[in-house]
Amino acid sequence: MNDIFPALFHMLVFPGGLFALVAGLFLKGLDRRVEARMQRRVGPPLWQPFLDIVKLALKQTVIPATAQRTAFLAAPVLGFAGMAVCAALIPVAGAYAGLPGLGDLLVLFYLLPLPAVALMVGGSASSSPFGALGFSREMCMMLAYEVPLLAVLLAVAMKVGAATGVGVEFSLSAVVGYQLAHGSLALDPVMWPALAAYLLFLPGTMGVPPFDVPEAETEVLEGPLLEYSGPALGFFHLASALKTMVVLGLGVAMFFPAPLPGGALVNVAWFLAKCAGLMLLTLTVVKAATGRFRVEQAFLFYLKYPAPLALLSLGLAWRGL
Amino acid sequence: MLRKLAARSPWLYRINTGSCNGCDVELLTTACIPRYDVERLGCRYCGSPRHADIVLITGPLTVRLKDKVLRVWEEIPEPKVTVAVGICPVSGGVFRGGYSIAGPVDKYLPIDINVPGCPPRPQAIIEGVIKARDAWLARMGG
Repeated sequence: MNDIFPALFHMLVFPGGLFALVAGLFLKGLDRRVEARMQRRVGPPLWQPFLDIVKLALKQTVIPATAQRTAFLAAPVLGFAGMAVCAALIPVAGAYAGLPGLGDLLVLFYLLPLPAVALMVGGSASSSPFGALGFSREMCMMLAYEVPLLAVLLAVAMKVGAATGVGVEFSLSAVVGYQLAHGSLALDPVMWPALAAYLLFLPGTMGVPPFDVPEAETEVLEGPLLEYSGPALGFFHLASALKTMVVLGLGVAMFFPAPLPGGALVNVAWFLAKCAGLMLLTLTVVKAATGRFRVEQAFLFYLKYPAPLALLSLGLAWRGL
Repeated sequence: MLRKLAARSPWLYRINTGSCNGCDVELLTTACIPRYDVERLGCRYCGSPRHADIVLITGPLTVRLKDKVLRVWEEIPEPKVTVAVGICPVSGGVFRGGYSIAGPVDKYLPIDINVPGCPPRPQAIIEGVIKARDAWLARMGG
């Protein structure tokens, strides 16, 4: 019983739930602002995503007559809930050690695709042909980018496990703890290919150009999101904001968690700064500078480059390097 | 209060009812090129009519497109504001009196804002969007 309330606090307030939501939405705003500046535009204010959410909450929700109602309305909530739990599992070095016994790389691996699954369920439940197209594209992308993700997670687990002598270490708190004691994994040449693979995985999982194949608005009219409106669409945007926070936070926790001297507040700010830097590097700049892959190009890209890189790190870590 | 905040996030949707593309190029230009940035008003072009708040209609409404345009317009959730861009939706423009023209658009749809011009200047379109935003706020009851 005593464990439940701290766990609930971590899921609803910090670092999951509220905190991740606000931080994620601000990151999205920063993303849009910097992208606009790269194109020499003024860009929207930083809190634009909040305004969008308020707007969507006040709009009417249209449910297509031929849609499968329950699945259509449950899908966005499913994606949102999955990401809210995920956000509570990410340790913030120097401020939050992660949920004991739950902060696990494998749990994260199973929870991370939930927004994509929600998109697929929602898209196919909407009974729109564009939703179905988006479904197949999302499925294709998922199969491609989950391979390098799994290899990266295994490489990290193997590396830390070999160094601490427990074989394979899946606990995220232990991974962060090891790095606090022995230096960040990003400084270890063995892990560089895995880090590169993770950086390449980020735009794919966030569905930004050049990997925005499932939601391509000029080809499949936003795909699975086509039929959504009002609060249901808002939930997809919230889930996406949370997911931004989760995948960036996971990257920071796995590769460069090193905290600053100082209190918890300093380290939360430092963590957010690292997340923002990672986002600008892997999402914003890439998004503003590229077009869009065709679906098979994006698929092959993930199997050609990030997957072998991650497997290389995995092999090296397995040999105990 | 909430409505005032919401009005700072108008998402735009374009319907081309058989326009010559001049107005559409101007619309894209206002959004895309650095000098006239509508994103700073919180606007965003969306690919789906279901996401839209402000509809920008171009073109004289041809006979073949009439039913489809009306159907797409019906798909847009309330509250919405309709903006006619260019003179074609108002009068038919150079296509006026043609055998293929079913318009003007306001015979079939309630037009809230007119942005005249052939094509209108980007500044005029942005002003139209701002007026549409105010009309939208009034329609939400804010």
